[in-house]
Amino acid sequence: MNISQNTPGKVALLMGNEAIARGALEAGVKVCAAYPGNPSSEIIGTLAGVAEELGLHVEWSINEKVALEVAAAASLSGLRGLCAMKQNGLNVASDFLLNLNLTGCRGGLVVVVADDPGGISSSNEEDSRLFAKLGDLPLLEPANFREAKEMTREAFNLSERLNLPVLIRSVTRVSHARGNVTFDELPQSSPKPGFDLSRPSLAFPPMPNHKALHEKFERAKKIFEESPFNFYRGPEKPDLMVITSGSGYMYSLEAVSNLKVEERVGILKLGTTWPLPEEFVLRHLRRSENFLFIEEVDPFLENNVKELFAQNCSDLGVKRFSGKASHTVPDVGELNPEIVTSALQTLLRVDYMPRPEEYRRRADEAIAEQVPPRAHSFCAGCPHRATYWAVKTALALDARDGFVLGDIGCYSLGMGPSGFFQMKTLHAMGSGTGLACGFGQLERFGLEQPVVAVCGDSTFYHAAMPALANAYYNGANFLLLLLDNSATAMTGFQPHPGTGSTATGGMAPIIDLKAICEVLGARVEVVDPFDIEEAVETILRLIRMERGVHPVRNSSETLNHAEEQGGIISNGVKVLILRRECALVSGKHQRKLFRIEVDQGRCLGEACGCNRLCTRIFKCPGLVWDQSTGKARIDEAICNGCGVCAGICPATAIRKEAVSGGDVVS
Amino acid sequence: MNRGLKGLEERVLSQGLCTACGACLSLCPYLRSWQGRVVKLHDCGLEEGRCFVYCPRTEVDLDGICQKEFGQKYEKVEMGPVKNILMARARDPIWRKKAQSGGVVSALIDFALRKKALDAAILTPREADFLPEGRIVRDREDILTCAGSSYVSGPTLEALHKGPWQGEEKIGVVGLPCQAQALTRMRASSLERKTPVDRVGLVIGLFCTWALEYEQFHAFLNKRLGQSHMIKLEITPPPERLLKIHTNGSLHMIPIDEIRPFIRKGCQVCPDMTAELSDISAGTVEGIEGWNTMIIRSDRGEMLFKKAEAEGIVESKPMPEDHLGHLGEASLLKKRKAIEAIQKRGELLQK
Amino acid sequence: MMLLPKDPFNVIIGGVGGQGNVLASRILGEMLVAKGYVITIGETYGASQRGGSVMSHLRISEREPFSPLIPEGRADLLIALEPVEGLRILGPYGNPKIMTLLNTRPIHPIDVISGNATYPEASRVIAKIQELSRRVWTLNATEIALEMGDPIFANIVMLGALSAINVAPIDRQVFESVIRDLFPSRTMDENRRAFERGGEVVEEFHPVR
Repeated sequence: MNISQNTPGKVALLMGNEAIARGALEAGVKVCAAYPGNPSSEIIGTLAGVAEELGLHVEWSINEKVALEVAAAASLSGLRGLCAMKQNGLNVASDFLLNLNLTGCRGGLVVVVADDPGGISSSNEEDSRLFAKLGDLPLLEPANFREAKEMTREAFNLSERLNLPVLIRSVTRVSHARGNVTFDELPQSSPKPGFDLSRPSLAFPPMPNHKALHEKFERAKKIFEESPFNFYRGPEKPDLMVITSGSGYMYSLEAVSNLKVEERVGILKLGTTWPLPEEFVLRHLRRSENFLFIEEVDPFLENNVKELFAQNCSDLGVKRFSGKASHTVPDVGELNPEIVTSALQTLLRVDYMPRPEEYRRRADEAIAEQVPPRAHSFCAGCPHRATYWAVKTALALDARDGFVLGDIGCYSLGMGPSGFFQMKTLHAMGSGTGLACGFGQLERFGLEQPVVAVCGDSTFYHAAMPALANAYYNGANFLLLLLDNSATAMTGFQPHPGTGSTATGGMAPIIDLKAICEVLGARVEVVDPFDIEEAVETILRLIRMERGVHPVRNSSETLNHAEEQGGIISNGVKVLILRRECALVSGKHQRKLFRIEVDQGRCLGEACGCNRLCTRIFKCPGLVWDQSTGKARIDEAICNGCGVCAGICPATAIRKEAVSGGDVVS
Repeated sequence: MNRGLKGLEERVLSQGLCTACGACLSLCPYLRSWQGRVVKLHDCGLEEGRCFVYCPRTEVDLDGICQKEFGQKYEKVEMGPVKNILMARARDPIWRKKAQSGGVVSALIDFALRKKALDAAILTPREADFLPEGRIVRDREDILTCAGSSYVSGPTLEALHKGPWQGEEKIGVVGLPCQAQALTRMRASSLERKTPVDRVGLVIGLFCTWALEYEQFHAFLNKRLGQSHMIKLEITPPPERLLKIHTNGSLHMIPIDEIRPFIRKGCQVCPDMTAELSDISAGTVEGIEGWNTMIIRSDRGEMLFKKAEAEGIVESKPMPEDHLGHLGEASLLKKRKAIEAIQKRGELLQK
Repeated sequence: MMLLPKDPFNVIIGGVGGQGNVLASRILGEMLVAKGYVITIGETYGASQRGGSVMSHLRISEREPFSPLIPEGRADLLIALEPVEGLRILGPYGNPKIMTLLNTRPIHPIDVISGNATYPEASRVIAKIQELSRRVWTLNATEIALEMGDPIFANIVMLGALSAINVAPIDRQVFESVIRDLFPSRTMDENRRAFERGGEVVEEFHPVR
């Protein structure tokens, strides 16, 4: 489906994120920027696909803060700008956002934050709506793909009415849900950008700006009183009123209908959740005595409505509120129809049997008996598996309990079985390197363990470059393993400053990882992780390297200066770049490197001398264990033909045969 | 009790009892040596494995083994099965110059290779980094790279498993007492043999009171010697007992007590000074430079030595009585200390 | 427009990350939109791509969108790209009336590969699925796809099978028009062949008594 078509009335099957992109196009957006992060990535990905055709600037920025700054620049010049991110991304961008709220903006500026309730593909579970409260910023929450498009378009108008950035909070089940969306018109004209010299954008002095912000905030409240995104559906005087926003609305509808309690339950659906449309909410609070809050992650609506109620309780009388605070709804994890159904059942005391009890029991027994767990793992042929194998081997041989500090990317799976449990810390983007800066200072207190950090290429540009500069400047001693798979693989292979292409497929200069690490003062080496023995030896050599004098680069003057002061510059920080393209990226332009076969005669199976090293320990999903023969074999449907397993087989039973015909798929 | 890698880890590796003899290496991908240490890389999980069964630091039925090897019980004699004890030295000065003491071991291996009594032998070369490992030698030039001692034990026996071997070669091994023990265990084991254990036709054992932990010892030497390049290490006989280090340009003397902390824990529980489970054992002669003490133990050892003597490769003379006495005392002393150490460990473990 | 047996008619496509679950749901959704239905699809993304269990929920309606997650016990049709994944889904979503279309080719999870868990006999899984479904159709779609040179065609083979068993309002014409829209640069021949092969080999499964 081409979302660039100016075909009003056309119905397309759009994912929530595509609908947001379409809404932005219908609003005449010109500049769109983001750093990829699930579940937000497809917003900018979709816009990038139509950028050239529609004459937009769309970029993958180096991180979310820069992305927001790029989009804000469009706004400050009078154009409309969009910035998208996941919840963690808003933490990165928040420093700028919480100054931009004071200055305000000009052209419509919309910040879409897609939260990941339950942290399905995140390191954390976070409710980004609290940033709207923190920054007195207007907040919209779409309930589904249709509303996602409408709200995005309206958010631009709202932003221009208030001269404030507007936040849209999506969630996984909105961003990644797909459904029929009807196109509206695309605007054909756009203003000419210009920075108005008479309107500088200065956060300082904060107090008057803060005051102006509060005035805008009051105006936003009034505007929201009339918003079509807020409505009530249900009986005049319900026994119970569900107050909900976002995906919670769809679950509430479904639960009410399944329980057949349409006559007893009303649903107050809020689309503008900060600031609250107070009069509107108060009007509906009078309808019932019992309320249930259904919303993703934190009790945001719940607390804000209660606060509003507290101010008006003399007028409203006794009300009973249920939600996360009362534990009627779980306070962590993602919502689903069952959670809402069960909360309603509890409060209404109604029975519900979606299917015979005995069916569920039989199904559960069958699953317990037959269905094995299916943990996530690195893909077949993933260079990270080879890297962690080398890390595990090197740290074991070194035997000083070296440990690996990690962060966000596919390589986070290094904390689990397919990375041999090597990664021992996981927090924010680039935090592995940042933590290493600290651990790398603890020798003087007696820390004897080697300190190793891992960081992906995209993560490095995003957040680890400052940490590496800090390491050199402050003389931290550690080894950084830069896992360069030439992709932002976790989020869908978006390009980044090391890949040579832009979001829109154009050529871009390559910011060379090795060169940048060298300039930042590190000793740098490069290996191919598929050459496991070389990787092991290099890691061992680097973690056992003593601190010493390191010549300062670029300027002989600086070197002299350091020597005059008798200072020794530490070469504590070492970088090993493990370079090998993501197997999934390779798969797009290449057939398998090798055809792999297990020689059933040579395979030692469970005998002493092997005991299933490849399947039991290495655990690539492309190699399976055949119980009937007691040997390993290749699963043709999974194997990517990397050939790494051939190198670890102690019996040389795994054979790799170069695939003829030049590898490249025409 | 697990008699596989798990047992080896629990009873040997984690107890610090490994002597890095190399018997368990290159048999599987789970164990590897680095810097003189044997390291477990992954959990294996088998109930029984060659690594445990071959290890000289796991419990063993010595009587049973000796019955099979020598047709007699592990006698409570001073130094294992003995046919003859004498002093000997190589006739060709090339061996005496290069090697420790009388050069008999190198000369005997050279002789056996030339006479095709052996096709290859596993020796321990002393490289520039003084980190020992096993090397397969097939001629005189190879042998000459393997003379001298580093006082550090290393995985010599790994070479037996690793090869590469050229066909059905008959193999000789020169090793420490623990290595001779390991070879005996390999032969006694009923587990399927994947490596040419049965082609080992001659074992020459080297006397050993202890060996040093490579990493700690060399960290110590580096601190003491700085950047200077070591050429040769030797320990002078009692009462002097000094470690003499020849570097390019100077000679360093370090009292032996300073290096005692680097003695492997695994050596403290070893009762065997004279490599009792070999065909021939060789050591120095206290107070007499340029000669070896030789213990001829087995028929095949005796045959080789006699032939070598007959062909003028080595010369021998009887061992003076008081030297014999001292040798016995020293051997018994090591046994006694080992038993004490084992008992002490037992008490420690019980706590 | 074919009358839906139920509104919404709930379909789950389940399998293993990397099997192209999302693509299958997308193509099926596009076919249904082209036929005039209102579709809601909920899908699991992200980390689950990396070899974990994945599911797409499709709600097919003549009227309106629904929650992107099907409520417990309310699936009407299960398209399982992998046997144990099919069984896993019947736990929370199955009911005595569910119909199941099953790709019989197993993909071993790493816990099975490593020996921490066992993969049941395929025949036992299929028998269990049969016990828990009103009707079951089976085929080895992966094998056909591998014969065609790329396991990813298994999706298309499954959609061809779906079209042949007449439980959802799709046909070859709408399939071809959707493929043409979605992948204008690719050839139709392989996709068409995969679709047709699915229809040829799918069989209703009857337990041996």
